Amino acid sequence: MQPMRTGPRSGRLINRQRPIGFTIDGHPIEGFAGDTIGSAIAAAGIRTIARSFKYHRPRGLLCVAGRCPNCLVTADGTPNVRACTTPARDGMVVRSQNAWPSVEMDVMSVLDGAEKVLPVGFYYRSMHKPKGFWEAARPVLRRAGGLGSINPDPDMSLDYVHRSRHMDVVVVGGGESGTAAAAAAAAAGAKVILVDDQPHIGAGRPPHEERAIAAPVSGAQSIEVWSGSHAFGLYPDNLLTVLRGNEVMLVRADSMVLATGAHEVPFILPGNDLPGVMLASGAARLLHMYGVLPGYRAVVATLDQSGYDVAADLAQAGVEIAAVLDARASVPAFPATGRGLGLVETGATLVEATGRGRVRGALYRASDGQIREVRCDLLVMAGRLQPAAQLALQAGCGTRYDSGVGALVPCDPPAGIYLAGRLVGTADPGMSAEEGRRRGVEATLRASPTSANGMRGLCAPLMEPPMDGRSGKSFVCPCEDITVGDMRRATDEGFEDVQILKRYTTATMGPCQGGMCLRNFSETTAAMTRSTVVQKGLITMRPPAAPVPLGAMAGAGHMPVKTTPLHHRHISLGGRMVDSGGWQRAHSYGDPQAEAMAVRERVGIIDVSTLGKLDVRGDEAPRLLDFLYTNMMSNLKVGRVRYGVMCSEDGTALDDGTVTRLGQDSYFLTTTTGNIEFVEQWCKWWMESAGVAAVQLADATAGLAAVNVAGPLARQTLGGITTADLSPGAFPYMRAARAEVAGVPSLLMRIGFVGETGWEVHFPAEYADHVWNSICEAGEEHGIRPFGLEAQRILRLEKGHIIVNQDTDSISTPVELGMNWAVRMSKKDFVGRAGLRNATRRGPRSRLVGFEMDLTSPVPPDGAAIVDDGTPVGRVTSGRRSPTSGLPFGLAMIANRLALEGRQVQVMVDSDLWSATVRLTPMYDPKGERLRS
Amino acid sequence: MSFRIPCPNCGPRPTGEFRFGGETLRRPESKAADRDWVQYFYSRRNLAGEQTEWWYHKFGCRRWLIASRDTITNSVTASRWPQHQSTES
Repeated sequence: MQPMRTGPRSGRLINRQRPIGFTIDGHPIEGFAGDTIGSAIAAAGIRTIARSFKYHRPRGLLCVAGRCPNCLVTADGTPNVRACTTPARDGMVVRSQNAWPSVEMDVMSVLDGAEKVLPVGFYYRSMHKPKGFWEAARPVLRRAGGLGSINPDPDMSLDYVHRSRHMDVVVVGGGESGTAAAAAAAAAGAKVILVDDQPHIGAGRPPHEERAIAAPVSGAQSIEVWSGSHAFGLYPDNLLTVLRGNEVMLVRADSMVLATGAHEVPFILPGNDLPGVMLASGAARLLHMYGVLPGYRAVVATLDQSGYDVAADLAQAGVEIAAVLDARASVPAFPATGRGLGLVETGATLVEATGRGRVRGALYRASDGQIREVRCDLLVMAGRLQPAAQLALQAGCGTRYDSGVGALVPCDPPAGIYLAGRLVGTADPGMSAEEGRRRGVEATLRASPTSANGMRGLCAPLMEPPMDGRSGKSFVCPCEDITVGDMRRATDEGFEDVQILKRYTTATMGPCQGGMCLRNFSETTAAMTRSTVVQKGLITMRPPAAPVPLGAMAGAGHMPVKTTPLHHRHISLGGRMVDSGGWQRAHSYGDPQAEAMAVRERVGIIDVSTLGKLDVRGDEAPRLLDFLYTNMMSNLKVGRVRYGVMCSEDGTALDDGTVTRLGQDSYFLTTTTGNIEFVEQWCKWWMESAGVAAVQLADATAGLAAVNVAGPLARQTLGGITTADLSPGAFPYMRAARAEVAGVPSLLMRIGFVGETGWEVHFPAEYADHVWNSICEAGEEHGIRPFGLEAQRILRLEKGHIIVNQDTDSISTPVELGMNWAVRMSKKDFVGRAGLRNATRRGPRSRLVGFEMDLTSPVPPDGAAIVDDGTPVGRVTSGRRSPTSGLPFGLAMIANRLALEGRQVQVMVDSDLWSATVRLTPMYDPKGERLRS
Repeated sequence: MSFRIPCPNCGPRPTGEFRFGGETLRRPESKAADRDWVQYFYSRRNLAGEQTEWWYHKFGCRRWLIASRDTITNSVTASRWPQHQSTES
């Protein structure tokens, strides 16, 4: 059933040979290939497509160009899709939004009378008393108001991508001036992109106009035409963001021609939102593009010639024209097309659209002052234009009043931006095209544009629009349901500035982003404050100028991850992989406690390839490291390793790691996982700012793999496959040597993060598999076991070894961390010296200490509060269960006065308090005997 | 933030390729008074207008550079390699 479908002469976009079908709220809808959801629904004779945001008023097609909020639906699970521009697909499932049980019978429409209870800005001043009322009311109000619902199960197959392009000239807008500008720029030698939001250039215009508009750009080699593409943001240095299907294009252009034109907006009068009230351009689009009659009996209210053209087209298609109401007192030359259009009244002002649920008539004031009514089921509003100035204003253009348009239009574009056509008030198509050509050439040459006619501020005060009528409210902003009455209340309350008024009423802030309401909003404001639109100015325009799905903003649905060369090994061992500083690391291979015990009792191996690795060479390398680390590195002997802390200038710890001296002017640094970029940049910055030139830095993180082999049997495990002598006398703690491991040239460092005899082995990443397998084979007889991040964290915690940013925060200095031993204040200068001098003098405000709890206590989570005498005095920074003692334990940052060995404090776990004992020495191997053995 | 910074090595590139390093500061002498150090740690001029500042070309040549940026318009008028910034004020 397509009762509103016209004969075959109109409907250029549809293919009547290819019927399609879909459902809306379960009802079958028939249409043709080429239909949009909205045109097929209109063809079926359905007028109400959506319910409005606040009052649940029925809404139908208005603009048919994707510019208004009246037809938002959920299509195949995607919310807030504009039915009028979204192509209908066979089998599509469409649901209406913000209505229950249906758009025709929405029970929430009782809210239509609720503006007394829920006036504009109600949430700023009412419902705050009695206490708790707002909390109770909020969920109800949330349900009552709004748009579509987001699908909580995202369909990841719907992937958006971001792409960048660089062009000489970008033209936005595919009308007369836009296409002329693109063609002229191309002729002048520029590479051009023409961006247009219509399905094809000239869509919605009569056929002969369409051909004339498209001619300049069809077949031009150096012009890319992007139809159906929405330019939504214009950012500094000429970056234009364009939504093009599932792509967000970031287009950088030397210069940009904005020819976004002007489009129709509704008149402000009671009932202006009723289904059946349409913009003339909308009615024409429905007819010409989709072959759908917008109604049976029409009244056309017009401010200029355009209404007659639409009336003639409608009449020709079989719509009865009940009346043409021309607001002009005298019509320059009586339009020939006016004949055969029924009643043509000049000097007639439309005052109200009547009807409930849909339009039934038009009330107008005739030239004799009498109010008359004409019955109709379609009320067409023609000739009220709003420049599509969003992008121009985002770019920083000024505004001037154009008496032809009767509104503010953009002017004074910044360098590199050129304006043309109806956007700046050029009404005549020929002049528009000429202007477009000029701007196109100027944009290519980046010449300064010839200045536009700079008439400013010549505009008369406006009449205040009517507030209400029989059929309801006068809407200023259809998205947010803001009426003239709301504007009156807000201005009465003293909100008279457009910017403040916008925020208070939320007008212009809905899905259409000012597309339908910018002019109406500024004129209503001006009228109510007895001022002019020039004095009031416009609201600030920010991206997006067109609605953009959040998914499009987010871009591609995948995160870059870094994996070590041993990644597949962890997977095959059943490792549970977690993110750690951007890397995938094995959390454990099933049993972290057992993995930890294997290290304590036998030997374990862990992949530490994620450590940041920095090769530092040069004459001034010792000087640089002395300056960046808090302790001395210049006196480190070749072949030795030292722990080092880097601090910021105010003394807070930034990173820690090992420094190995490989030669007189050659060092090897490790940094915390994920912190290498920061450390590299930090080093380079100080080289530049402190003038340390004779140093070369090379990030070796990706080139080297590393494993840590630790445990009482580590020596036996590694001893047989390395050329290094690992005996305690030959390779003591904190020494390093270059040697082969399983035939691979490696750097061995004897360090002890986990607190056992052990070696960190660094070697070329290409040999990772071979080295790992060889060590595991050699360790098999010793019961070697791979251990993961969690076991490592438990083991280091038993030793009281800190992890920077886990156990420290942005105010912890080595003084708070009890690491004064790692600071050499006697150095003349180093980064953080002044801050540490202060911190030392003032003493620690808090201290990082160990703590232990009873066997029966729960393991406190990281961040659990430490309580003393009922007062919070600190927090747990790391909490685990010790595999060696079985006790819950960890590190905590507590008030310095409590940092006493054996002091009792309490830890809050799930709002229960458990006692804990402060420990100042590591729980495991406090003297480091095992570590050094 | 879509403005471009002219990298002395790579030419004009979008801001997203760079890391901001803050306004250029003069580091006090090591014997300077606490007051000067605290100023240096925590106080910034936060100019409205032309400011010289540090940028690191992270996704480019991986070098630090000094740019002059108008903090009101975000237009970067000049850039150069740093040369002993500590001697500048």
